[in-house]
Amino acid sequence: MKKSKNAAVLSNGSRIARAVIFIIMVVISLLTIYPVIYVVLGAFKENGELLVGGTSIFPKKWIVSNFIQAWQEANFAVYTMNSIYLAFGVMTLSLIISSMAGYVFARKKFPGKELIYGVFVAFMFINVGSVTLRPLFELAIKLHMNTSLFSVILISAGGGQATYIFLVRAYMKTVPRELDEAARIDGCTFFQTFYRVILPLLKPILATIALLSFRGGWNEYILPLVFTMTNQAKRPLTVGVTMLKNSGDGAAAWNIMFAGATISIIPILLIYLFTSRQFIQGLTAGAVKG
Amino acid sequence: MKAANQLPSDVHKRTFLQKMKKANNRGDFATVFMLAPSIILLLVVSVYPFIWVFRYICYDYNGITSYFTGTHNIVRAFQDVTFWKSVLHTFEYAGLKIVFIIPIALLMAVFMKQKIKGSELFRGIYFMPTIISAAISSMVFAFIFASYNGILNAVLRSVGFLDKNVNWLGDTKTAMWVVLVVAVWGGFGNYMIYFMSGLSSIADDVYESAKIDGANGIQTFFKITLPLLSPMLKVILMLAITGAFKDYEAIMVLTQGGPNNRTQVMFLYIYQLIFGSQTSSPQIGYATVLSLIASLIVGLVTAIYLFISRKLDDVI
Repeated sequence: MKKSKNAAVLSNGSRIARAVIFIIMVVISLLTIYPVIYVVLGAFKENGELLVGGTSIFPKKWIVSNFIQAWQEANFAVYTMNSIYLAFGVMTLSLIISSMAGYVFARKKFPGKELIYGVFVAFMFINVGSVTLRPLFELAIKLHMNTSLFSVILISAGGGQATYIFLVRAYMKTVPRELDEAARIDGCTFFQTFYRVILPLLKPILATIALLSFRGGWNEYILPLVFTMTNQAKRPLTVGVTMLKNSGDGAAAWNIMFAGATISIIPILLIYLFTSRQFIQGLTAGAVKG
Repeated sequence: MKAANQLPSDVHKRTFLQKMKKANNRGDFATVFMLAPSIILLLVVSVYPFIWVFRYICYDYNGITSYFTGTHNIVRAFQDVTFWKSVLHTFEYAGLKIVFIIPIALLMAVFMKQKIKGSELFRGIYFMPTIISAAISSMVFAFIFASYNGILNAVLRSVGFLDKNVNWLGDTKTAMWVVLVVAVWGGFGNYMIYFMSGLSSIADDVYESAKIDGANGIQTFFKITLPLLSPMLKVILMLAITGAFKDYEAIMVLTQGGPNNRTQVMFLYIYQLIFGSQTSSPQIGYATVLSLIASLIVGLVTAIYLFISRKLDDVI
């Protein structure tokens, strides 16, 4: 009774308020999604149309030759492979190192643990910015890894690992200690306990870490830019596409840049489409606990 | 004699082996092995570069040869107008970004709570820019804001707001605003999610009773949501401030600090000094001095923010 009365009292004012809110949300949605639609549809326009401009976001004539041209002539097949390699590399490495370290930090007592943990935390906040790229670059030159994407994978995973370690460590609190003990009694070693018993239970948090680190690797820009300055064949999509913009002949190659940007956006967008819930939950968990 | 000699070493050997066995049973070796990759990466990727920064403070170093120059780099840093202008631009950029992004993110998070039809979809859309590379989205915006064939100029001209094309990214009056549009577009969904998780911790009963007491939406927001959210708000603001001071990736793609250094921010300027450009060779020693000053500035801003937010705690 009380409830229905409440609803009746609120209905007129709140209905208008809700309509206004709805409209604001729609407008902001359109503004948010517009650049993405613009570039994806633009990739199907003829270069002539792009160079003249105009107000329409739909192509006058739909063509796919931009993609073919980008793929075959502008090296985008190579860039795409490099991006895939980079993203999967960062993801795999992040999963392996953060699950092991997170487990150890959660379960094992040893001298100096708090200190090591403290260093991890400290270096999340100590940040001297872009200058750190230089020593890493020079180190890579000394090790003859300066033109390899593998060093980019190592640095990217190393830079992101602290958050992921915290995620695993926090998640371990939901895993009962009795499981570890039971496994030990059954004769598992410490590593077997982790590998056979705990790791399968970590699946949800590992899925989150996989998503976040994959995104990190796929979107990495400045790091691979530095490491592939002189080695075009190793560039990932982010670097390959933006390099076109800054090069002299890029001004006339809008179609290739649109196609390239689209090739870079679509895969991660598709992943997001199916996993947005985990993405968002993972981000919240990372922010709150990290 | 022989036996007596052997005995102590045997005991020693046994205890050592026993120790090793015990350690192995406890999983000590496994611990070292499982922690090693993370620690090695931490040392190489985070600790080593940090220590390295101090090495070239007093040197002129172009990546190949280095000369000792004493305090020259430090003196130069304090006379470098371009750098201090870039510091100002950083403050301008960070301040404006936060002024726009935090209210939008908070408002959207509050709207999400009203459970309006399609909220899930809206949330997915608002968050979407954060999964796209800042480099790529900056490039897309560079196309939209292009002066000759950009779609923004075309639309504004067709509705009569403009009579000639504006060079958005090439004009010192507008370039910073374009940079800000891209920053807000790319980031507000992220902060919205933070706010949403903060809001979800406020119990529904509080809102129910406010409703019964006859509070309207705006009153509810200022009298209930905001005060109850304030601990979370402080953390989010802190993340936003430290984040905004470190941004330079998008600006690098959009304007490379131009036009006429109008959008030059600290860390972009330092990046350009470290790796040089077509016209100038790297000035690494000098860049390390600047990056120390820059991180001091960020640290100072963070400290001041923490101080103020604690003072506010006492007042409210």
